[in-house]
Amino acid sequence: MTTYQFVTTAWTWNSIVLSLVVVSGVGYWFSFGRRGRPLYFASAVVVFLLALISPLSVLANGYVFSAHMVQHILLVLVVPALFLLSLPQSFSVRSPLTHPLIGWIAGVGAMWLWHAPALCNAAATSRIVSAIQTTSLLLMGSIFWWQVLAPREDQRLSPPAGIVYLFTACTACSVLGIVLTFAPVSICPVYQHPVDRLGILSTIRGDWGLTSDRDQQIGGLLMWVPMCAIYAAAILAQMARWHSSPQPEQSSA
Amino acid sequence: MAQFRDVVLDPAKRRHYQLAWLSTVDHKRIGVLYMLTGLFFFIVGGVEALFIRLQLAVPNNHFLDPDTFNKLFTLHGTTMIFLVAMPLLFGFVNYILPLQIGARDMAFPRLNAFGYWCQPFGGILLHFSILAGGAPAVGWFSYAPLSETPYSSSPGVDYWAIALFVLGLGTISFAVNTIATVISCRGPGVTMRRLPLFTWMNFCNSFLILIALPLLNAGLAMILIDRRLDGHFFLPFRGGSAVLWQHIFWAFGHPEVYIVVLPAFGMVSEIIPVFSRKPIFGYEFVAASTVAIVVLSSLVWGHHMFTVGMGRPMDVFFAITSMLIAIPTGVKVLNWSATMVGGRIRFRAPMLFCIAFLIQFTLAGLTGISHASTALDWQTKNSYYLVAHFHFVFVGAIVFAMLAALPYWFPKMSGRMMSDSLGRWTFWLWVIGFNMTFIIQHVLGLNGMPRRIFTYPDIPGWGWMNMVSTIGVFFMSAGSLVLLWNIAHSFFRGKVAGDNPWDAWTLEWATTSPPPQENFVALPPVHSRRPLWDLANRDRPDPVVGDDQVVLPNHNQVGILAFIFSEIGFFGALILTYIYFYAHPQSGPGPKGLDLPRTLSFSVCLFASSLTFWRAEIALHKQRRGSMLCWLALTIMLGAVFLGGQANEYWKLFQSGVDLSTNMFATSFFTLTGFHGLHVLIGLLTLLIFLWMAWEGDSVSAKFRSAFNCVGYYWHFVDVVWVFVLFTVYLLPLLR
Repeated sequence: MTTYQFVTTAWTWNSIVLSLVVVSGVGYWFSFGRRGRPLYFASAVVVFLLALISPLSVLANGYVFSAHMVQHILLVLVVPALFLLSLPQSFSVRSPLTHPLIGWIAGVGAMWLWHAPALCNAAATSRIVSAIQTTSLLLMGSIFWWQVLAPREDQRLSPPAGIVYLFTACTACSVLGIVLTFAPVSICPVYQHPVDRLGILSTIRGDWGLTSDRDQQIGGLLMWVPMCAIYAAAILAQMARWHSSPQPEQSSA
Repeated sequence: MAQFRDVVLDPAKRRHYQLAWLSTVDHKRIGVLYMLTGLFFFIVGGVEALFIRLQLAVPNNHFLDPDTFNKLFTLHGTTMIFLVAMPLLFGFVNYILPLQIGARDMAFPRLNAFGYWCQPFGGILLHFSILAGGAPAVGWFSYAPLSETPYSSSPGVDYWAIALFVLGLGTISFAVNTIATVISCRGPGVTMRRLPLFTWMNFCNSFLILIALPLLNAGLAMILIDRRLDGHFFLPFRGGSAVLWQHIFWAFGHPEVYIVVLPAFGMVSEIIPVFSRKPIFGYEFVAASTVAIVVLSSLVWGHHMFTVGMGRPMDVFFAITSMLIAIPTGVKVLNWSATMVGGRIRFRAPMLFCIAFLIQFTLAGLTGISHASTALDWQTKNSYYLVAHFHFVFVGAIVFAMLAALPYWFPKMSGRMMSDSLGRWTFWLWVIGFNMTFIIQHVLGLNGMPRRIFTYPDIPGWGWMNMVSTIGVFFMSAGSLVLLWNIAHSFFRGKVAGDNPWDAWTLEWATTSPPPQENFVALPPVHSRRPLWDLANRDRPDPVVGDDQVVLPNHNQVGILAFIFSEIGFFGALILTYIYFYAHPQSGPGPKGLDLPRTLSFSVCLFASSLTFWRAEIALHKQRRGSMLCWLALTIMLGAVFLGGQANEYWKLFQSGVDLSTNMFATSFFTLTGFHGLHVLIGLLTLLIFLWMAWEGDSVSAKFRSAFNCVGYYWHFVDVVWVFVLFTVYLLPLLR
C-alpha cells in the first residue's frame, strides 16, 4: 500500500466515536447554546475526530509509537483545553477534583501511567483498554486544565501560581520524554513488531524510514519538546492574563 | 582625598576598614566585593587571552608550546565565564536589586556573604592547579574521556571540577537568596507587576540557575568519582558513556548562556529607557519573553551536540527548538529599538554601550541561528566561526552591557560620576578592537580554521587575518586600561553625583549616593513602575498599574523551597543516570542481588521519621516542650536507624567484593544512594542542633519555629527522594 492509498483509505468510521460526537454536540447546544463559545467546541470535536478516526488512529493502534504519542498528546492536552475554553463563563463545578494538587497529579499521571510497558501494550492491542485509556485521558486532561482554564476566573489559580503549576508539570513530563528518547529497550514492545493487519508495515519501515528505534525516539521527543511547547504557550497565556488583569487581586494568602 | 588619606594612613582606621570589608554582610559591600573579584579575574582572563592571540598572530609560531596553549584556552574560558561574567553580573544584582525593590538588605545576608566567598575560593582553587602539577588542558567543557584519568593524569581536572563545584554552590545560594529577596523583602507598594525589568529578569534568571547549576554539580560529582574513586561514568571502555557527560554538561551549559545574558538584558532594559527619556516599550512583552526564555532554554542544549551523532530525529527537534528560542530574544531587541524610536536620546557613555550592545548582539543572534541549522552547524562547528559567534554573545552582548551598567550605576555606588570623555575613549577602543578581533574570525572559520589549534601552516589569507585579529586585542586592552584609570580617578576625583544624576525613575535613585547602611530613610509612594517619575511630575504621573496587595511570605520558607527545587535537579540527574546504566546491564552484580526485605525495613524507619517529625511540629505549635523533644529525638533515632541500615548494606556489598569500581551498576548505585545518605546525614546533624537548641530552652521564639518548619521541609524532601530511589533501584527490577 502506498502512502497515498493509506491516507485516503485508512479512516476508521467508528460508530461509537461518531455517535458520541453527535450526542455531545447536541448536548452542548441545548445546555449552553450561544452562551458558550461554539467555535472552540467545534475545534475540540475536530481534534478529537482527528485523533480517533483519521489514519493517525490506525497508526497509533499498534503500528507506530510516535503516532500513538501524537494521539496521546491531542487527547490529554489539546481536546480538554479546547473543551474547557468552549464553556460559558458562568459555568462552574464544585468538586474535590478541582484541588490543584489533584489536577497536577492527574495531568502528570496521565503521561506516566499509560506509558508503563504493560498498560501501553494493552492499550495498543485491546479495544476495551484503548477505550478506557481514551476516556481517562480526556478526563484527566480536563481535571489538569481546570486549574488554569476554568471558565470562572475565581476558580483558576492566580497567574503566578499557574506558571509554577504548568512549569513543574512540564518538567515532570519532560523527564518521561527524556527517558523514552534515550531508552535502549522498547517501552511499548507491541510497536517493535507490529501485527501487519493492513499490509502497511513495509511502507512505514521502508518509505518513511521509521525503524522501531527511531520511532520510539521520535515518540519520546514528541513528549519532550512539542508538549513542552504547549505548556510554554500556556505559561505565556498566564503572563498575559496576569498583566492584563486591571482589578486588584483577591489575595488568599 | 583627605578622606582617603585618613583611611589609608591611620592604622586603627585601616584595621577597622579591612575588617569591615572582610566580615561584611551588607549587600552593597558584598556587591562591590563581587565586582572587584570579577574585575581582578577579568585582568587574569584577559592576559590569558592576550597570550593566546599573540601565539596565533603569525603562522608556524612557537612562542607557546602546544600544552601551554591548551591550558591557556581552558583557563581563559573557565575564568571568563565562572570568575568574570558571573561575579560581575551578580555584583550588580547584589548591589542594585534590593535597592530597586526598596528592601533593607538581601533576605539572607550571611548566606550572601557565603555565596561571595565561594567566588575567590573557587578562583584560587582553579588557578592553584598551576602550582599543583599542571592546569587543566581539556577545554572549558572538559569533554570525557579526555578529562578522565587515563588521558589527563595531572590533577588539573580535579581542581577544575572542585573549583566549579564550589562556584556552583555559591551561585545556587545566590539564586536562592535573590528569589527569597524578591518574594519576601519588597517595600510597600512594590508589587510583583511593578518590578523594574532588571529585578524581574534576575528573578526569572534565579530560577534558571536553580534548574541548571545542580545538573553541572551532579556531572562534576560524577567526574570526580570517576577520577578519584575509580568509577567509570564517562569511560566507554569500562561501560560508561562519554556522550552522557556531554548531555549533562550542555543541559547545564546552554542555560548557562542565558544565565549570564539575562542580567545583561536587565541592565540594558533599565538604561535604554532612561537615556531615551521614554518608558520601556512593551514592558509586558519584555517580561513575558524572559519567562519564555527560561522555559525554552532548557530544551535546546542538543544543538551543541549535532556533530556527536545523536540521530536525525534528535537533530531535527533540537534545531526547531533552537530556532524557536530566537523569537523571545528577538522580541526583546525589537522592544529596545522601539523604546529609542521618537525618544530624546542622550548619547552618554552608558547609552553608547547599549547601542553597541544592540547591534553586536543582533549579529551574535544571527550567527546563533545559523548554528541552529544542523547542516550548517556540521560545517562550522569547532571552527573559528563558532569562536566568533560566542565571543559576540559574551563580549558583544554581556561585556558591553556591563560597560554600560558601570557608568550608569557607578554614581550610585561611589557618589561620584565617571568621566564621560574617558568613557567615550573606552567605548571607541572597545568597539573597534572587538570588531577587529572577532568579525574576521567568522571569515577565518568559514575558510576552515579549526578552533583550539596552537598554530597553523602558512595558508594564503590566514596569516594577515589572524594578525588583524590579534591587533584588535591591543585596542581592547587599551580600552580596559582607560576604563581602570577612569574607575580609579572618578572614585577619588569625579564630579559629585547627587541622588539621581540621570533623572532615572526606579527606587535605587530615591536614596543618597552612596546609600546609607539601611538603604532608605523613607520610601517614596509607589503606584507605577516609575515611582520617581510620578514624584517629579505630579501633574502627569504614570497610570497606576499592578495595584495588587503586597503579600510577603516568610523568607525562610521561600528560601528552603527554592533550595529544595535545586536539589530536585541534582537528584533528578543522578536518578536518570542510574536508569540509563540500568537499561544497559553489564555482567557482574546488578540490582537483583540487593537485599530487598532489609532495605524495605529500614526504609520504613525513614518514612516513619517524617511522621514523627510532623508530630514534633504539632507539639511545638501547641507549646508542649516535653512532647516535642520526645518526638524530635524519635525522629533522629529513626533517621539514624536508616543510616545504620544503609551502612550495613554497603558493608555487606564490600564484603562480597562489590565496590564503586566493580561495574556500572555499582558505580551508579553507590553514587545515588551515597548522595542520598549524605543528605540524610546532613539532615540528622541539623536535627541534632535543633534538639540541642530546644533542650537549652530556645523553643518558643518565632525565629526558632520558622527555622524548625524549614528543616521539616528539608527532612520530608529527603524522605520523598528516597521514595523515588527505592522505586528505581529496588522495585523496578521486580517489574521485569
